[in-house]
Amino acid sequence: MESLADIEQRIDSARRTYAEVKSEIARVIVGHEELIEQVFVALVCGGHCLLEGVPGLGKTLMVRSLGEILSLSFSRIQFTPDLMPADITGTNMLTDDPSGRKLIEFQRGPVFAHVVLADEINRATPKTQSALLEAMQEQGVTVGGKLHRLENPFMVLATQNPIEMEGTYPLPEAQVDRFFFKLILQYPSHAELTRIADLTTAAPPAPLREILDADGILQLRQWVREVPIADVVKDYAVRLILSSHARPEQNGGESLAQRYVMYGSSPRGLQSVILAAKARALFAGRPNVSFDDIRVMLLPSLRHRLILNLEADADGVSTDKILNDLITRVAEVA
Amino acid sequence: MTVEPTGLQSKLADFLRWEKQKRWQESLLLAAGIALAAALLLSPLHGLLPWIVLRWLVPVILMLGLAPGFLYYRRWCAADATRALVEIDRKLNLDERAVTAWELAGRGDRSAAAQLVFHQSEAHLRGLEPRRLFPRQWGWPAYSAAPLLLFWCAFLWFDFDKSLSQQRPPAQSLAQQLREFARDFQEKAKTEGLRQSMQVGQELEKLAQKNLAAKASDEQLKTDLAGVKQKLDAAGQSAPQNQSMAGAESEQSLKDLKAELEAARDMLNLPDGAKSPSAQQWLERLAALPQLRKQLDREPQSGQGMGQQELQSLLDRLDQQVSGALDRRALIDAQQFLEQMMKQGQGKEDKDAAQIAGRGEQDEPGDGMREKNHSNLPGKEPGTSDSSRSLPQFRAETRTQVKGQLGEGESSSLVFKGKPAPGKSELAPQGVVANYRRQAEQELNSEKVPAALKETVRKYFLSLEESKK
Repeated sequence: MESLADIEQRIDSARRTYAEVKSEIARVIVGHEELIEQVFVALVCGGHCLLEGVPGLGKTLMVRSLGEILSLSFSRIQFTPDLMPADITGTNMLTDDPSGRKLIEFQRGPVFAHVVLADEINRATPKTQSALLEAMQEQGVTVGGKLHRLENPFMVLATQNPIEMEGTYPLPEAQVDRFFFKLILQYPSHAELTRIADLTTAAPPAPLREILDADGILQLRQWVREVPIADVVKDYAVRLILSSHARPEQNGGESLAQRYVMYGSSPRGLQSVILAAKARALFAGRPNVSFDDIRVMLLPSLRHRLILNLEADADGVSTDKILNDLITRVAEVA
Repeated sequence: MTVEPTGLQSKLADFLRWEKQKRWQESLLLAAGIALAAALLLSPLHGLLPWIVLRWLVPVILMLGLAPGFLYYRRWCAADATRALVEIDRKLNLDERAVTAWELAGRGDRSAAAQLVFHQSEAHLRGLEPRRLFPRQWGWPAYSAAPLLLFWCAFLWFDFDKSLSQQRPPAQSLAQQLREFARDFQEKAKTEGLRQSMQVGQELEKLAQKNLAAKASDEQLKTDLAGVKQKLDAAGQSAPQNQSMAGAESEQSLKDLKAELEAARDMLNLPDGAKSPSAQQWLERLAALPQLRKQLDREPQSGQGMGQQELQSLLDRLDQQVSGALDRRALIDAQQFLEQMMKQGQGKEDKDAAQIAGRGEQDEPGDGMREKNHSNLPGKEPGTSDSSRSLPQFRAETRTQVKGQLGEGESSSLVFKGKPAPGKSELAPQGVVANYRRQAEQELNSEKVPAALKETVRKYFLSLEESKK
């Protein structure tokens, strides 16, 4: 059994690792500190992220940088309408062995990497999308009746462009639910743009340093799950999830959720919130989860899990607004 | 090495005990405040208590009844403990370490992560002094209980509750006053056999009832009353004026005369077999009836030669004249009452005036107003003034004709109205009799009591003395 010193050292190590990852990425990515934290949290929690933002905000660069820092294999798939499932998963091919005999060999697709960037995932057909999403869920692909395991750790960072919606195939709700986080990339500020100009128009920066390997990530995953959480904090998370279901008896007065939400969060949302809160506590050097961890992780965990009604569309109400309303309404202690 | 978080647990248990104690005190204060407020609201009912000293105990009794309920409904539960621990975390910026440590310790979790939580929480809570960090905060129950207690003590000390319980009923509407007057008026008319007054009384009561049923305004009633008053004026002008019973006679004299006429008729109508008195004897007996004698003296044909039939018809005529005069006076009273009602509305003075008019005793305060005279109160010497002592409130009741036994000398009768206020007498009967006797002797020395009745009054008080012995 670990001693108190061991556990203190473990927490300190996790906190330092996270700080190093942040500072190393900051060398190539300007701003987006919160986004980087959330991507890292999703990675150590074993989740996948859906990134939403206009082109040119550094989505691909961020994912590539993350792969470099973590010394993980990285692949990028550009989703197009003619992309086939086999283009992602790979396919069996007839080849010759050194002795000249014909044999069928499985050629791995780009999904066989630690970090996969699925660029503009909504441009591919649902058939292709579901091939990737199945791989995400099962951590493996089945081709010709044979299961091929994916890398561990495995993480998909899918992107979608919110402005060019014509000719796209929006992800079905059930598939969106499989993403751990949905992250929104904001346009950089004046200062950030100036710094981007300096960084990208001068001499290229020095290569990124490897900070963490796959084993280190798996170790962090285990530590995250061991972070204790008080029942009262867990209960707070549960009540937040329930209040997203627009049940009148759950809330005092009419909340935005009651008015605009058609379907609330799934239980996956709760798992995501609690696990992410644990990771946040660990990276903050704390041995337990606080109410604040829950609140901070609520938005990225639930924003893609609420299905809003037409009235919300008409009124221009976003899920973030509804979730912020819930945070103000639900008391920490029942 | 596993370390048991006993120190942390006892520290947190101390804190929770302090919070529990605060809750308990708050509940009791709340119960006390509500008990005092309820006691103040119930103070007009103090008259119902069997012993007056019990009124001091009312808040205590109410609090004893309320406190168990408050302690039960505000009892300490697990959620309160959690809430208190979250409050500690918030106050000390512990990021929910205390509440997590409390739960993990309660669960028996002794993992390395739990040990770290205990360790960090203990380090932060080592110097925790619950009483200093979370002092008792006096809310509105505390701030209201003390002033309420003071107010309550002052309230009882100055007997405000007694004055509240003796408050007069709310002012009546004009229609209610009229109905009350009409009923009194009918009662009076019935007692004295006044036919016209009886009719007027019935009409007034009908009018009042109609207005009450229709919930009409006072102005509407006044309009209706104007019509009735006109009728009364017309009736007063057309009524025959009897010269012998002119306004010179007081109402009390007329009543005495009526009583004497009744007595004289009784003397004339002896039962069968009894020996009827001679005219001479009858006239001698009449000497004991001063008012009747006075009237007979005015009659030119009355004298030694009158037979029984003549006497009978004379008595009947006199009776009719007296009834007519009383009827007219009663109607004048009614007119005055209606005038006052129409002029003043439903003020207090109006009501008092109406009551006086209804009794029909405002003309001769010396004869019929004994209950309104301060000097007639037991224990009060005539002529001395004591404005601080209030008169007992008499409610209008059925009139009672008190008849004395006719004996030697002249007799008279007094009309008493009302009944005494409930409660124990504070005066000894001997003192009361002595006081009344003194008053009676003073009255006897004045000219108000007819000379023929003076001896009767004296004998009455002597008989009281004898019965007392």
